[in-house]
Amino acid sequence: MVKRSLFNRNKEQKVNNNVENFPVELFKNLNRNIDNLKKMLNEPSDLVIHEFTIGNNKCAIAYIDGLTDKDMLHNNILKNLLIFGRKQDLPTSETDLFNEVQKGLLSISSIEEGKSLDELTIKLLSGSSVFYLDGIDNVLIMATKGWDSRSIEEPQSESLIRGSREGFVENLRTNMVLIRRQIRDPNLRFKTYEVGRRSKKSLILTYVDGIIHPDILNEVNRRLATIDMDDAPESGYIEQWIEDNFLSPFPQMENTERPDKVAAAVLQGKVAIILDGTPFVLIAPITLGNMLQSPEDYYERWSIGSLLRLLRYLAAFIAMFAPSLYIALVSYHQGMIPSELAFSIAATREGVPFPAFIEAILMGITMELLREAGARLPRSIGQTVGIVGGIVIGEAAVTAGVVSPVMVIIVALTAIASFTTPSYSIAISFRMIRFGFMVAAAVLGLYGIVLVYIMINIHIVNLKSIGVPYSTPFAPGFLEDWKDLILRAPVPMLTKRPRYMQTKDKRSANKGGRSS
Amino acid sequence: MKWFDYADEKISDKEIMIAVPSIVIGVGILSMPRELAGATTSSDGWISIVIGGTIFVFITWMVAKLAASFPNQQFLTYASSLVTKPVAVVLTFLLSVQGIILSAYVMRVIAEIAKEYLFDETPVEVIALTFLLVVVYAVSGSRAGLFRLNMMFFPIIVIIAVLVIVFSLGWFNTENLLPVFKTSFSGHLQGLQVSSLSYIGFGIVLFYTALVKQPAGAPRMAAIGMSMAVGLYLLFFIVCLGVFGNLSTANLIYPTIELAKEIEIPGGFFERFDSVFLTIWIMAIFNTTAMGLDVAVFALNSLFNVKKAKILFVLSPLVYFIGMFPKNFNEVVTLGAFVGYYSLIVTVIVTIVLLIISKIKGGKKNGKK
Repeated sequence: MVKRSLFNRNKEQKVNNNVENFPVELFKNLNRNIDNLKKMLNEPSDLVIHEFTIGNNKCAIAYIDGLTDKDMLHNNILKNLLIFGRKQDLPTSETDLFNEVQKGLLSISSIEEGKSLDELTIKLLSGSSVFYLDGIDNVLIMATKGWDSRSIEEPQSESLIRGSREGFVENLRTNMVLIRRQIRDPNLRFKTYEVGRRSKKSLILTYVDGIIHPDILNEVNRRLATIDMDDAPESGYIEQWIEDNFLSPFPQMENTERPDKVAAAVLQGKVAIILDGTPFVLIAPITLGNMLQSPEDYYERWSIGSLLRLLRYLAAFIAMFAPSLYIALVSYHQGMIPSELAFSIAATREGVPFPAFIEAILMGITMELLREAGARLPRSIGQTVGIVGGIVIGEAAVTAGVVSPVMVIIVALTAIASFTTPSYSIAISFRMIRFGFMVAAAVLGLYGIVLVYIMINIHIVNLKSIGVPYSTPFAPGFLEDWKDLILRAPVPMLTKRPRYMQTKDKRSANKGGRSS
Repeated sequence: MKWFDYADEKISDKEIMIAVPSIVIGVGILSMPRELAGATTSSDGWISIVIGGTIFVFITWMVAKLAASFPNQQFLTYASSLVTKPVAVVLTFLLSVQGIILSAYVMRVIAEIAKEYLFDETPVEVIALTFLLVVVYAVSGSRAGLFRLNMMFFPIIVIIAVLVIVFSLGWFNTENLLPVFKTSFSGHLQGLQVSSLSYIGFGIVLFYTALVKQPAGAPRMAAIGMSMAVGLYLLFFIVCLGVFGNLSTANLIYPTIELAKEIEIPGGFFERFDSVFLTIWIMAIFNTTAMGLDVAVFALNSLFNVKKAKILFVLSPLVYFIGMFPKNFNEVVTLGAFVGYYSLIVTVIVTIVLLIISKIKGGKKNGKK
């Protein structure tokens, strides 16, 4: 962690500007407390302070409008308090009154005592309501969170033909529920962290106790504890903070919007990291093989699943190598192309003024531009851009003699192949590597391609994701895990959890039936 | 920090099984059929391969047995306990020289072959330098990573070898193999001599067994690994002979690559399969070079207490200069013969001496009890 301390992000430096100007503790005087709260937040318009009396005692309830569930606040808290206030035999001392309110009046599930202004402000800002009683230097913090959020929809980034249509949303609780609904194991654990000095967002680490290897869990916990930033707007921040190697082109964590994918990963002995405010849940550790798997491989019958995976491996190969192979063959190893094809390629390249490398780079960049434009625009316009770019530019470029038709075929094939990768983040890696291969092919032909391929492999075998070698189960080899790698064995044969995860509970199916 | 059982710097005996053929199979196979066909009559070279192979499988087994009898001990440590420290230092040094010259020679040969079959104009120096840089990158990573690389490349190498063999069966003519058993005794001896040069490299077992977690199984695994190499050699030799006949094989510089040139892939995707074969074979040659350089670094690291990176920094220019030293192809062949004999003699002598002494010392211990 030397790297981190270089940037002076030590815990000791924690400074909270507000603490210096305002008293941290609470006072017995109600008005003074309310004034302090208002000053601290600088009297925002959405801060609601509802003052009333219980008998002769002044009280107040403070909450932030919009962050609280108003129905709950009115029906379960305010109503009870006002009815109680009209009673004749109220306790005389303020302490008794406070205790009675706390113990027996509020029909709400979670009530806690707050002793400092700091604490109650953070709760207030995350949606709780605060009950003040004059003469008491304590407050009651009531969990009344409730705000509008997007309803559960089909995941946009990972759609399946067959499989659950539920996707994660921005709300942390909803996401937890979605996972709980998949796994009803009492050993399913949710460990809460708070990230962001100023944003104070909740982050939840999910795993199944009794499956996960303790070393992985300890390491993830250690890394999560080091997180120290103002705000983590998206789980990508968390990923980049705790990943093993930030220089690697490969993602070392998987992100998904699918609860079923998270549930499957957690049952394999992995952890999932859910951050409040984002539908993307992180899964770690992952290996290279995981990146080419889709949940659908398991939902369809095994033969289809296996063939789809083979197809994806082929697609990954095409996505990485096709343009560079074209460059190498056309510029260095013409002899390798069958003569008839060689003649027709040569004929189409007749008027093209550029060498194959420039041609490929031009088309490659055009393709990336189109992709980026399509991704940023609204969906309806995005399609138009696709048509304009793909068909019009491709056709026009060929007609104008800027690129050869074979090149257009290669680029289109590459683009389609790179879309078949289930994980968007690894697809980006493939795209980056593709340009490396193209440069190598331009300089050294096939020899350059194989050297770069070896280099990527060297990088992969040295890469780890939370301490798990990225190249496993290819190497270090676990032959048993090959049942669920390039091919997918029939479900009754997939009886064991991945050996490379070194789970505590080895078997996942066929444990001996109900009799045992 | 303690990781998983397998995610540390230790390796399993399975990885030794792959590492042995990975270092042995390299450039030797490309030219071996020529030398062997030249030394023997008709297809009798297979006898040399079988006899030589059996001997080397046995020697590999002995080497691994010796190293495995000192579990988790580095070569220098157990050699010192057998033959005093100064002698052990000299032996370590000799073995590290083997790694250096082996990787230098292999680097030069791949540069020559790539120039011959893949490029015409790119200078040998550039081809060799780029290759060496990739090797250095691999060696500078973790040692366990190197074994994983072997595991990842070995299946690809086997697949391409099998493809070449299977597709050449169409040109296979059994008459080319006849007549059999015509070679004289001295011819067989000479065949044995030239073929044995293709088996060098198994000396790595002396060093890498120290990394194996449970070395009890290592001798068997190393022997199996060596048998894989012998089996592949045998197949390639017979197929070369069957396709080209003795006379042509003896006159082709790289009969194995020419074999790949002959064949046609159904569907006509590739006109010249030799380029594909050679491109993929570069991975095999890369494995040999990387293991050779790494074993030299490993050996020197036990002698001098300096960082791995520093040793590598000194060794890589040395490897490059040794590799670039021969001026023409004949000198490269001479260098190859020197590397072969040097490695063979050093490895075999070191093993036999250490084995005998360990037997005597072990015997003494038992006697005392």
